[in-house]
Parts: sequence; C-alpha cells; structure tokens
Amino acid sequence: MSTAPAASPPPAPSGTPPLSMKDRLRSLRGAWTSGRMHLPLREDHLFLLLAVIIGLYAGLAVVCFRIAIDWARLHFLGSTLAPSWPRVVLVPGVVGLVVAFLVIHFFPRVRGSGVNQTKAAMYIYDGYIPFNTVIGKFITCVLAIGSGQSLGPEDPALQMGAGMASALGRRLRLAREKLRLIAPVGAAAGLAAAFNAPISAVLFVIEEVIGKWSAGVLGAIVLAAVSSVVVERGFLGEEPLFRVPPYHLVHPAELLAYAALGVVGGFASILFVKLVVWARAHLKRLPRWTQYLQPAAAGLLIGVVGIWFPQVMGAGYLFIDQALHDQFTWQMLALLGAFKILSTSLSFTSGTPGGMFAPTLFIGAMVGGAVGGIEHHFFPWLTGSVGAYALVGMGVFFAGFLRAPFTSVFMILEVSGNYSIIVPVMVSNTIAYLLSRRFQATPLFDVLSRQDGMDLPSMEEQREETTLRVEDAMRPYAGPFLRDEDRVVDALRRAEDSAVDFLLLPGANGVWRGFRKEALQKLAQEGQADMLLGIAVTENTLPWVHPDQPLEVALREIGDWPLLPVVHRADLRKLEGVLSLANILEAYRVASPPRS
Amino acid sequence: MNPEDPESNVLADAAPGPRQASDRDAILLLSLFGLAILFTIAGVAARLFHAKERSLGQEWYARGQADLKVGKAQVAIKDFRNALAYSRDNALYRLHLALALTAANRTDEARAHLLNLWERQPGDGTVNLELARLAARQGKTADAVRYFHNAIFGVWPGNPDEARRDVRFELCDFLLAHGLKTEAQAILIELATDLPKDADLHVRVADLFLAATDYSHALKEYRAALDINNRSEPALAGAGEVAFHTGDYRTARRYLDRTVRLNPQNQGAAQLLETTNLILSIDPLMRGLSAWERASRVVRAYEQAATRLAACAGKRQEVLGGTEPDAEIQALSDRVSTLRPKMRERTLARDPDLLTQTTDLVFEVEEVAARKCGPASGLDLALLLLARQRGGAEP
Repeated sequence: MSTAPAASPPPAPSGTPPLSMKDRLRSLRGAWTSGRMHLPLREDHLFLLLAVIIGLYAGLAVVCFRIAIDWARLHFLGSTLAPSWPRVVLVPGVVGLVVAFLVIHFFPRVRGSGVNQTKAAMYIYDGYIPFNTVIGKFITCVLAIGSGQSLGPEDPALQMGAGMASALGRRLRLAREKLRLIAPVGAAAGLAAAFNAPISAVLFVIEEVIGKWSAGVLGAIVLAAVSSVVVERGFLGEEPLFRVPPYHLVHPAELLAYAALGVVGGFASILFVKLVVWARAHLKRLPRWTQYLQPAAAGLLIGVVGIWFPQVMGAGYLFIDQALHDQFTWQMLALLGAFKILSTSLSFTSGTPGGMFAPTLFIGAMVGGAVGGIEHHFFPWLTGSVGAYALVGMGVFFAGFLRAPFTSVFMILEVSGNYSIIVPVMVSNTIAYLLSRRFQATPLFDVLSRQDGMDLPSMEEQREETTLRVEDAMRPYAGPFLRDEDRVVDALRRAEDSAVDFLLLPGANGVWRGFRKEALQKLAQEGQADMLLGIAVTENTLPWVHPDQPLEVALREIGDWPLLPVVHRADLRKLEGVLSLANILEAYRVASPPRS
Repeated sequence: MNPEDPESNVLADAAPGPRQASDRDAILLLSLFGLAILFTIAGVAARLFHAKERSLGQEWYARGQADLKVGKAQVAIKDFRNALAYSRDNALYRLHLALALTAANRTDEARAHLLNLWERQPGDGTVNLELARLAARQGKTADAVRYFHNAIFGVWPGNPDEARRDVRFELCDFLLAHGLKTEAQAILIELATDLPKDADLHVRVADLFLAATDYSHALKEYRAALDINNRSEPALAGAGEVAFHTGDYRTARRYLDRTVRLNPQNQGAAQLLETTNLILSIDPLMRGLSAWERASRVVRAYEQAATRLAACAGKRQEVLGGTEPDAEIQALSDRVSTLRPKMRERTLARDPDLLTQTTDLVFEVEEVAARKCGPASGLDLALLLLARQRGGAEP
C-alpha cells in the first residue's frame, strides 16, 4: 500500500513569522503521509486495527445506550423501584404506541432478533447493515426498555455493534470477504460491552453467528470484545454485572439437586420457547394496522403485571442480583420467573425492539432460585445457598432457551469468577440443553428467522452435521499386491489373473505409484520383462489418504486418478482400501437425505 | 504491498490502489476523530448520570432514615431499597436496609443483607454487631456470641475503644440473660482492665459483675467508682448490696445507710437497709456478743420462728383440705414445743449446746416455712437469710 508523498513544508527559520493554521495542517498531513509510507498497512493488519476501532465505538455506544435507558426509566417511571400504579400501567402502553410508530415508519429493520439480523448480514447481504438500523435500534430500545417493556439491552447492543462495524467496513471499502466478517466482529464488541463479559461474547458470536473457529476472525473478535469492555468499564465502572456470592458444593450428592434444576429449567425454557414461537406466529398473522397497537397492548399488560410485580419490568439486572443474594423467598422467585416469561413473551412477540438475553438470565435466576429454595426446604443439609442455584439457573436457561451450551457454561464462569461452580453448571446446562433439543427440535433463533422468511444457516445443525469420512466410501483393493522387488513379467502375469485394471505399487517412504495393465504389457514388449518393478516404474506417484480423513479431502486429492490408496497412519505402506470418484459420489448420495 | 509476497497476491483482488489507500487513511482519521467526539459525549453523559445516581441515592437514604426514625419501618425498607438501586455497593444504605428489615421483623431478609455486607467486609464491627443482634433475636446463641466477638475485634470508625466497650457490655448483657455467667465474667474482667476514669462505667461493670454473682470483682469496681466519686449513689447502693450478699452486714449497713441518706427515695436501698438492720439486730451468731445478749437473741428468734411455723401449719392445713396436718411441719412443731420450757435467757446462756440446738431449729423452721409457705418478710426474712448464710448458700 502506498500513498503519494506530499511535499512537506520547510521548517520555519528562526526569526520568521509563525506558521499559519493552513501551513500547520499541511505539515501535519505531510508527517502523517511520511509515517504511513514507513508503515504500510496490509489488509489483515487493517482488519485488526479496525477491530480495535470497532470495539471502541461499540463500547462507547453501549455506554451511551445503557445510560440512555436508565435516564429514560427515571423519566418515565420515576426514581422508585415500585412506581405508582397509574405510571406503571400507562407508561409502557403509551410509549409502546410511539415505538410502534417509529418502527413502522422510520426503522422497519429494528424489529426482531439482532443475532439473526447479524447472521443475515453475514450470509445474505455481504455484511451490509444499514446505519439507520443502529440509530433506530438505539432510540426504540431506549424508549421500550426505559418504559418498562420486559426486554434487555444486549441483543440490541450486539446489533448496534454489528451495524457500526458494517458502516465502517463499507466506508473503508473492505474486500467482500472481510466485509462479511466485520459484522460479527462488531456484534461481539457490542455484546461484550453490554454483558461486561468478553469471553462469553466472543464464544456466543462464534457459537451462534459464525459457527466455526477461524484464526483470522478470532483475533479480530477478541480484540474488538476486549476494547469495548475496556471502554465500558472505564465509564461505567469495574463492577461485574452481577456480584456473585461465594460458592461451594456442599456435598457431592448436591449434584443431584443441580440435575433436578437442569430438568426444571429445561422444561421451563421449552415452555418459554414454545410460547414465544406460538405467540409470534399468531401476532404476525394479524392485520398490519394491529402492529401499531401490539407494543402498546403488550406494554399495558406488562404494566398490569407490574402493579404487583414491578421487578418484571425492564431488564431486571438489579433483581437478578437480589436473587443471587437470597433476597427473595422461593415462592416469590417462582412467581417472578413465571411472570417474566409471560411479560417477555408479550414484549418480544409484539414486535417491540429489544433483546432476550437479560430476560433469559432473569427467568433462569428466578427459576433456579425457586428450585434451590424448594430443595433447601426439604434437604437443608444437602443443598447450598439459594443464590448458587439462581446463578446456575441463569446458565441453565441460557443453554435451554438460547441453545448456546458452550457460552452458557463460560458465561457463568466469567460472571461468577468461580471455577468450582463448573461441575454443577455443566451438569445442569447439559440436561437442560438435551431436554430442549429433545422437545424443541429447531432452536429459537432458527425458528424466528424462518418466521421472517429467511433460511439462515443453523449453527446447531452445522454442529450436528455428520462428516463423511474416507472410511465411509473406501472399498477393498481387489488387485494384486505388488512390490518393488517383483519382476515386470511376474507382475504382468498376476495382473492378468486379476480383473483390476489400475494397479498399485507401494514404495519406500510411503510413496505409492499407480499404473494400468497396459503399462506393464508395454514394458514387457520393450524387453524389460525381467526388470524389477521398483526400477521400471518410477513415475505416476499417487496421493494417498487415511481412513479417518473427511471425504472432502479425497475429493480434492483424487483429481484424474482412477483410484486413491487409503493407507494406515502408522504404516504408510499398509493399504487399508482404495477409493474411486464413483465411490466418493456414491457415499455422498447415500448420506444425503432426499429433499422433500 | 509487496508483489512477491504470496499472501499479498491472494488478496490482490482486494488490494486498494493508491487513491483508495488515501481515502482509507482519511476515513480512519475521521473515525478516530469520531471516536474522540463519542468519548467526550460518553464521558459527559456518564459523569452526569453518576452524579444523578448519587444524589438520588442520598435522597432516598435520607427519606429512609427519617421514616425509620418515626417507626415507619415498611416505608423505610422501600426507601432504602430505592437508595441501593442507585448505589448497590453502598454499605451504609444496605446496613440501614437491614436495620429497617429487622425493625419490621423481616429477620431473614435482614440477615441476607447483613451477610452480603459481611462477605465483603468480614471485619466490619458494625456489621458483625448487627449480625450478632439478629442472631440473638433469632435465638442462635452460638452465632450471636461469635458475631459479638467478631465485632469486638472488628474495625470501627470514629472512636473504636468506646465502640468495642459498648459491644462488650452488650455481649455481657446477652450472656447473663442466657445464664452464661462464666463467659460473662471473662468478658467483664477483660472490660474492667481498660476502663477510663469514669464512675458510671465502673458502676456499670460492677452491676454486671453483681449479676454474674462475682461479688469480689463487683465490690472492687464499686469501690473504684467511689474512689472517683464518693457520693455516687449507684456505687454506694451497689457496694451495699454486694456486702449484703456476701454476708458482711455491717459493711452493707454502712454503704446502704449512706445511700439512703443521699437519696431517701431509693426504695430498694431502704428496704435492704431495713433487712440488714433486722439481721444485725437478731443474728445470734454475731461475734462479740455477751452470752446474755446471744441467749436473748436466740429466744427472740425462737419466738419468731414458732409464730412463723404456727402460721405456716395453718396455711398448709388449709391447702391440704384441713384433714391431715403436714408431716414435716408437724414434726418441727413437736420439736419447737419440746424446746419451749427451756427457752429462757438464763438457761440458754449457761448451755451453749442448747443454744446451738435452738439456733439450728430456728433456721430449719425458717427454711421449711419459706419452702412450703412462700417468701418470708421482716424478721423471718432476716432469720432465713442468716440460715442460708450459715448453710453456705447465697443469702
């Protein structure tokens, strides 16, 4: 990369009049150009630098976003945790009308899940997310969450990060491949700042948006996530989102109690998913004019719930923190969990912009705390604090509802900063995840994207895809086993006894050669019948594969060869089987389910 | 870009030309400029918002304190919760929330908040003291004692010596209320070692020693108080009471007499003084008495005991339904009647064995009567106290 060097103005001699502003700017530009000449920026380096800049932007945006939400709440609902009932009932409804108007007329893309929109940008629109979406998401989410709709700021933060990254990438005219990847980088930065948890954000984006580990993009994602978290902590403080009390496993048998939590949390998450999917499908079918009223109606109903349970309004971090510190009875926790499921379903399915992460954690904490409270009531000697169950419950719901098992485990570790909780978290999360898979075949994000008419790649399906391997397609070698020490005439005789036309010859150092019968006949006719094969056949070195390698490797290697030797990993001269193009295609055909 | 670099060639289709690179530089510079603006906006917003949060927290805290002061604990709880919403790590707000919850009898919730504070500051004296009070309220004696001790050795703002002394006093009260006298004595001895020159504090410690039935230490502390202020009425009364309990009735009379003279309204001291005077007037075992005087006191005691026994026998018969007399009282009455012919000063003065036998009988009568017919008063009380003192029991 090079730029034309600008002529630097000569330094002003002493005694001459001071430089004008224009001269100073010119001098600055000259210094910049000269510096850039010595520091050529390759595309990869630019991508990493961009990741840091995106992280900083996302972090700052999230700081402003969170402050704006809190300001909005203060103005809409007042400074008390339990506002007066007219406010609680009216504010979410009235603001819901405004939000609906803004969404329908100005920001139609801010509806729905930010995760899916980032995936759509990556897989459908070549990384394109209009900047208008970022602004729209900011404004509408501030209004919605600030007025008490039961939604969280993480998903919007993710989408805002992705949108800003996309805008910057477009302005910098990045290559298409990089532009596609820049949106997830921004998404990770936004989510990391919103969660104050960089590891979980990186994992979530890889697990749910990108779907694969790639060294190139991982570096950028990590840089962006770390930058955004540093900025966010700089402005909003070092405190974690939740202050987790000390935890220890009371008794190994307590794992059974956590397993029970996994079961309850798993079924609760299934109920939540089904409710969201069912309600969203029904509400989408209603006439278009109802979209003006749906957020308001949802807000009104949430307000009614909020008269008795104001905790369910908004993101609810404060109450998650209280649940983690045993500040609710188990009955209250159970009620809060149930009403939050209802409120969040109403808010989300009505098309109100906002995220599901915080509500998921809220419900998980409440359900977990309630289960822990009941267990503690019956088995006080066996179970630890209710707060520990609330913490594990958050992960359980994350695994069961959002179906991000790795993120769910690491998120709890990151949030708690306590390694000893990993065993209960793994037990509970795995159970919840498996139950959710068993009773809800398609993950929530995939169902939502299909409801919106998009067929985005399902990361869970990708993870579950069985990879065809060489051993699935290889066949036994039916030809004669020749050696370098065999004479050409002997080899020809044995070849003629066999039906195989293409013969294999293993050589030293795992070199395999292949040739047709005609080649042997030609050698015999040329008077080289008594020559050793190792000397006579020196060309046609074949590529080989191992049985455990993916079939794709064989497809790439086979080229025009009629056969590929499949050799043992520990003994490259040992033939395990052979593979032809027909075998490979047949294996793919058998493995592919017929399309309906 | 190096054209020989294979990696660069891979990206050849994306490689920017000089003009595009220049545009990129400009955009990068602009984006840095944008960052600076956004930093400023976020900084101002964060500063304003934190200030608002702080002021809201303080406002709700002040409201909570006011509500708690006038006994509106439930309202105060809401106020403190609101305050905490704006400053969730503020220990003062949380502590007051716990106090409000305790005041509203929501002890489990209060405990959760206090434990939350304790986890962050296990050495905080105030938190440990509140946890101790809560445990005491919930009847968890061992926990309460543990938290009291933590509070004693904890960190206190302001005047830590005074705070620790107050906790020790509170712990002693708690221990004595639960009958743990030995443990209380240990704390009191510790407490007494570094008391400032304050008569009231010495009296307070002495009172607690007295409650722990550690009379020698109690008397020492009362005397220390009197050394500071020899007209301290509680110290005089306390010293009199200790002397009374130890059977040193002469000393008791001296202190009690001064007390009553200092404050004639002090009914307790006056009553004790009266009993002391009665004891001193009838005690047949007092040193320094002439044989005649001793015999005379025994005769008076005998008459008093006989009257008390007769009254008690009648009362018991009433209680038992008037059919059968109480066997024990009957046996004593028989012994009293047997001795009656010998109850003359001259006889008793000449027969020390008879004198001792009569005295023993008198004491036995008073003990039995007190056990069977209720508390004694007047001279009977004096005799009973003497009987108990002689028997080794506490008067």
